[in-house]
Amino acid sequence: MKLTAPLAAIAINTFRETVRDRVLYAFVFFAFLVTLAGILLGSLSVGQDLRVLEDLGLTTIAFIGGIIGIFVGTSLVYKEIDRRTIYLILTKPVARWQFVAGKYLGLAFCLLVVTAAMGLFLCGTIYLCSPEHVVSPLLGESLLLIYLEILFVVAIATFFSTFATPLMSVVFTIGLWVIGHMVQSLRELAHLSRSAGVARLFDTLYWFMPDLSRLTQIRFDLVYARQPEPELIFYLLSYVVAYILLLLTLSTLVTERREFP
Amino acid sequence: MTTPVIEAEELGKDHISHFLRKRFTAVDRLNLQVMRSETYGLLGLNGAGKTTTLKLMLGLLRPTRGRVSVLGYPAGHRRALGRIGFLPENPYFYSYLTGREFLDFAGQIFGLPGAERRKRVQALLKMVSLTEAAGTAIRKYSKGMMQRLGIAQSLINDPEIIFWDEPTSGLDPIGRRDVRLILLSLKEQGKTIFFNSHLLPDVSEVCDRVGVLHRGVLVGEERMANITGGGGHYRNLEDYFLDCINRAEEDGKAVPKAG
Repeated sequence: MKLTAPLAAIAINTFRETVRDRVLYAFVFFAFLVTLAGILLGSLSVGQDLRVLEDLGLTTIAFIGGIIGIFVGTSLVYKEIDRRTIYLILTKPVARWQFVAGKYLGLAFCLLVVTAAMGLFLCGTIYLCSPEHVVSPLLGESLLLIYLEILFVVAIATFFSTFATPLMSVVFTIGLWVIGHMVQSLRELAHLSRSAGVARLFDTLYWFMPDLSRLTQIRFDLVYARQPEPELIFYLLSYVVAYILLLLTLSTLVTERREFP
Repeated sequence: MTTPVIEAEELGKDHISHFLRKRFTAVDRLNLQVMRSETYGLLGLNGAGKTTTLKLMLGLLRPTRGRVSVLGYPAGHRRALGRIGFLPENPYFYSYLTGREFLDFAGQIFGLPGAERRKRVQALLKMVSLTEAAGTAIRKYSKGMMQRLGIAQSLINDPEIIFWDEPTSGLDPIGRRDVRLILLSLKEQGKTIFFNSHLLPDVSEVCDRVGVLHRGVLVGEERMANITGGGGHYRNLEDYFLDCINRAEEDGKAVPKAG
């Protein structure tokens, strides 16, 4: 039996599940509305209307993509257990890692489509506002970085969904996502603290927490046409991919140990 | 009928309650063998441990004591899972899929090639009388239709062993008759069938052998021919079942296994 058959079947099924959920379209519609609101906000600025539109558009894509990732991702495995559909999967020749990876890949592919759709809508809006403006390829790079961040958020959500209720998973995932953007502050707090114990605590937390602040920083650099060093991009890519693999491995270990009464 | 394809040795399972961490035994000292091509019915009252036993055999639960193997592999081994079919009690499906899509998904998991999968799905839909409803979303299915879809998905890989948990529960008389006919047809094909039920008339019609589980202990095991055939101690399966339960309750222990 092919190793990829169960993986592909579960991924396709998860993709189908997500795209058939009407909530997804509500989120995307909301993203479109906020992007269009960028035209209004841009008109209030002095000669920076396209910059405002781009900034707001990209932030909206990152936020809405992350929110979809969190709300769908946190119930990804939990829903299978709660609705007992997992009995029908795990009594077929499916390894637990194939189950976890299939669920993750299905949602990741769905979010790729969603991110691309929202990105195209942003480009279309920019073109409608100023047909002579050439959309920078750096915008595409920014979108890829956003997608990378969304993949990371989905991995956190998947991990929590293997053992926590959706509500708790949402809280934990949002918590980690926010901390990930503020992780440099932990380091600064460690330097500022007068207590050696507290400094060590913040420093340890810094090394364990995911660092997403650089992704955002580079995204803004790209919007302002500042091309980052390829080494830095490669480092960030490796960092996020390694973190995702670690989270999926942990998710598999949790699922492996689990019983299904 | 000489090769055991399902074997449980001194199998036991304890559950621990979440709140007070209290331990209780769901299955205890279960010794059981099911031969190839045999139809075995595991009977018991609600909460007797039938579903737990089935889940132990499928690897959804891990034994606390003893061991269980299916087709020579430890329970839950992927090689064994590739050759069995399972119908859970009151099966739930993905409500956003249609019946046909779900069966196709089940076929994909087993790695069946496209053409073969389509053929198999079509044949199974016909067998369980769901051809007309194949394109309808599962959320619109009645309980009987869900049960029939569950039966179809358990047969998608043409399994050697079929594990069915309460296959006739919640079905109307016609639905129960249809399931019985499917069981008899699978039996004719030489499949090994292991199923749980507390609906005794269904069991007596199709089983070669039955086991009675009471409070997690196998309190009786007998060939159907010895129960329903002439010259035996029992009028029918119900008589045998009640006798096993009553003796176990009176003795406070399992009755010796027969047959």
